[in-house]
Amino acid sequence: MLLHGAFRGFAGGARDVRLDAVTLGEALDALVRAHPTLTERLRDERGTLRPHLALFINQDDARLLGWEDAPLREGDIVHVIPALSGG
Amino acid sequence: MAKKVTLLVGTKKGLFILRGDAGRGSWVCEGPEFAPTPIHHAAYDPRDGSMYAAVNSTWGGSRIEISRDMGKTWKTSKNPAFPEGSDRTFYQTWHIEPGHAQTPNVVWAGTEPAALFKSEDRGETWSIVRSLDDQPTTTDGGATWAQDNTVSGAERPDVFMCIHKLLAHPEASGVRFMRVHEEVYWRDPGETTWRFSTPGLPSNFGFAAAIHPRDQKTAYVIPLDGMRRTASPFGIGVYRTRDKGKTWDRLDKGLPEGAPLESVREGMHNDRLDPMGLYFGTANGDVWASTNEGENWKRIAQYLPYVTSVHAATID
Repeated sequence: MLLHGAFRGFAGGARDVRLDAVTLGEALDALVRAHPTLTERLRDERGTLRPHLALFINQDDARLLGWEDAPLREGDIVHVIPALSGG
Repeated sequence: MAKKVTLLVGTKKGLFILRGDAGRGSWVCEGPEFAPTPIHHAAYDPRDGSMYAAVNSTWGGSRIEISRDMGKTWKTSKNPAFPEGSDRTFYQTWHIEPGHAQTPNVVWAGTEPAALFKSEDRGETWSIVRSLDDQPTTTDGGATWAQDNTVSGAERPDVFMCIHKLLAHPEASGVRFMRVHEEVYWRDPGETTWRFSTPGLPSNFGFAAAIHPRDQKTAYVIPLDGMRRTASPFGIGVYRTRDKGKTWDRLDKGLPEGAPLESVREGMHNDRLDPMGLYFGTANGDVWASTNEGENWKRIAQYLPYVTSVHAATID
């Protein structure tokens, strides 16, 4: 997983994490195990992924691939990106 | 050692720290910390020297940051969280208030959605004050709450419309000053009703307010026009009452004449020195200071982002 922008700061400056997961949801769980400071930055107290969070699998928007159920393959790169909105 | 004042200045793009010299005559501006995130409020805890900042971020969600070294380094607290079964989730923090001297580990946080959270470990973790979800006023440290809205002579004596700022005197238990949407109110110890204190102000409306740390009859407000939301047409000015709101004096020496500036809910605060220093920030990024209880004013910072809060820390 490759952390971008603010999420790199939330993880203490970590740029990337290599992990084993078969879905995006599993990958996110493994990410917060590796960097617990990301726990509340990624999800609210109900476990819902926060808004203004963009997740891409390689070059594809994970929302179009099943979001947390999106399958991962060997060598995939998951990008964790602070999403922009507004003007 | 002479006491100094440090100002925590929250803006729409980060937290600035203005460190004053012993005479409060020169200021060094540091920051911004947490930019570009809006800081709705930041507060200093005189009991242990901690600083707290309400960092209301869209990226990663809002959070509360704590500094134990006067703002040099910060760490993230565990978020306030609504209990399971609630249909609410923590969105952001509006105000952080260190607790009473007799409860040194207690810190309070007012949030959106509307709720009060209590920390009993100096801000490390937070728990919702469940009793306040049902009833709105307490006199026993938050154990029980009761409605406390009675206003003498009001058309609806049971209702306050939109409380903008509620201040408790730091020394005189029971002395309260309150800035409401279109009135200000005063209440003395033992009284059960709130008294109107608006006559003499150029408008009914405003947000920023302060109460004198020693004098039990003196408070300050910055009136705004209720429609324009700026100090127009009367111009920016701090108004002082020395008689619990019966009369008000305009204090504007040094302030730009007629300027339609704006200062918001957490925009004004005082230090605890003698004479008291008074400070306010504006939407156009100024911070103004008076070291003689509002008589004269000097701009001590400019070109900051929109100032959302000013908190004066009196440092021993």
